[in-house]
Amino acid sequence: MPTDSQTRAKIVVNNLTKRFGDLTVLDGINFTIKEGELLAIVGPTGCGKTTFLNCISKLMPATEGDILIDGEEANPKKHNISYVFQEPTCLPWRTVRENVAYGMEIKGVPREERIERADRIMELVGLKSCADLYPNQVSASMMQRIAVSRAFAVNPDLLLMDEPYGQLDVKLRFYLEDELVKIWQKLNATVLFVTHNVEEAVYIAERVLILSNKPTHIKAEIPINLPRPRDTISPEFVELRKQVTELIRWW
Amino acid sequence: MAYKEVVVKKPLLLIILPYASLILFFGLWQAVVQFGIIPNTLLASPSQVLTTFIDKLTNANPDGATMGAHAWTSIQEAFLGYLLSLVIGIPLGLAMGWFNIAEGLFRPIFELIRPIPPIAWIPLTVFWFGIGLAGKVFIIWIAGIVPCVINSYVGVRMTSPVLIQMARTYGASSWQIFTQLCIPSALPMVFGALQLALAYCWTNLVAAELLAADSGLGFLITMGGRLGRPDIIVLGMICVGISGAIIGFVIDQVEKKLLAGIRR
Repeated sequence: MPTDSQTRAKIVVNNLTKRFGDLTVLDGINFTIKEGELLAIVGPTGCGKTTFLNCISKLMPATEGDILIDGEEANPKKHNISYVFQEPTCLPWRTVRENVAYGMEIKGVPREERIERADRIMELVGLKSCADLYPNQVSASMMQRIAVSRAFAVNPDLLLMDEPYGQLDVKLRFYLEDELVKIWQKLNATVLFVTHNVEEAVYIAERVLILSNKPTHIKAEIPINLPRPRDTISPEFVELRKQVTELIRWW
Repeated sequence: MAYKEVVVKKPLLLIILPYASLILFFGLWQAVVQFGIIPNTLLASPSQVLTTFIDKLTNANPDGATMGAHAWTSIQEAFLGYLLSLVIGIPLGLAMGWFNIAEGLFRPIFELIRPIPPIAWIPLTVFWFGIGLAGKVFIIWIAGIVPCVINSYVGVRMTSPVLIQMARTYGASSWQIFTQLCIPSALPMVFGALQLALAYCWTNLVAAELLAADSGLGFLITMGGRLGRPDIIVLGMICVGISGAIIGFVIDQVEKKLLAGIRR
């Protein structure tokens, strides 16, 4: 879904700073995400990506700065924030369907609607056939799909993803990335995708932010205006990938 | 997508080994007594114990109650104590694992009481409850509550932090996280507590019945000692052992059914 300049800013991050004692991890980060945008953030290893996400999701209080959703201070109890973690976060005692519905359950979505929405999303990601299985009966990639489905199911104001496909092999990763782009287009969600994989970022995002080393700030912003589905060996793609790689290289 | 259970064929040796070990054990025991290596006054042979058992099914002599009456008394005491320790210990342990107030309030007292052996409570118990059922139930309760509290506490503490973070980002309340994540996560440990507490309760039964009693398996053992009847002593011991094993097996089966989704 191409963004046009009229789309309003959904998420505004102002001067986000996080210090642990004397150690400044995040140093005045400013950026916005437009409604329905898929924004990727890449950075060198150990640049505080997880701290960054934990602050944005309000799991961790920021030292300074605000995170605004629709102009209001972000609050997990009020806003729909979803977070897909690196490691699978399925509840082993719930079936796949119940796992997908878990976020909605906390949000107080009525039962009928929960089931209907869960079923629709499972259809979209190909989880329908294992809706009644338990997580220990499905593969690792399925588990990550469950987490992604659960995240989309709450109609998130902001969907955070922390290298969700980091532990999968290349082929499966591309497959799941395509799937992610498909759901994102269909449901028009606002997504913040954090990864250290440059190719992944350029492949899925509409815009890539590059983080610096600690103390972390935003070093550059690169819009990716490539048509979808993207071709990872086209000269334009390779050029953009090189550009991003050049910006995060520490060697 | 139904899942087929994979049937793994055990080698014959592994199947017969448990039986062989039992047969060997009882065979050796019988032989040792039969050939007088250990005099009959010190240890009864399995066959003698069996005869005594059959006799005791209907005969109240010499200790005052039939086998069934003894077993019934013990089961009543053990189960009342066991149930009370579950009902109080598990919720207490779960709450201590998640709510700081509960931990701050109960942890110090618990740590202080925990190292005291249950039998050390016997004299006080006699003052408080006399020598009836209540006193014995109290001793057994003390014995059983310790593993219930510890296991439930540890089980809650072992809840995956990522799951808690996940729920938090969806805006879950502390109570929701406790009931929806921590308690289910703790269940395998809680079931472990059911087994452990049963073992503790059952072993402390004998100790509790040292407290003046007129029936019960523990009482049967002490009476056997007083009357100089090794067959009665061994009979009481074997009954405690076998019934404990049976109850343990039943709990194990229930656990397997209930935790089907959690076990990997």
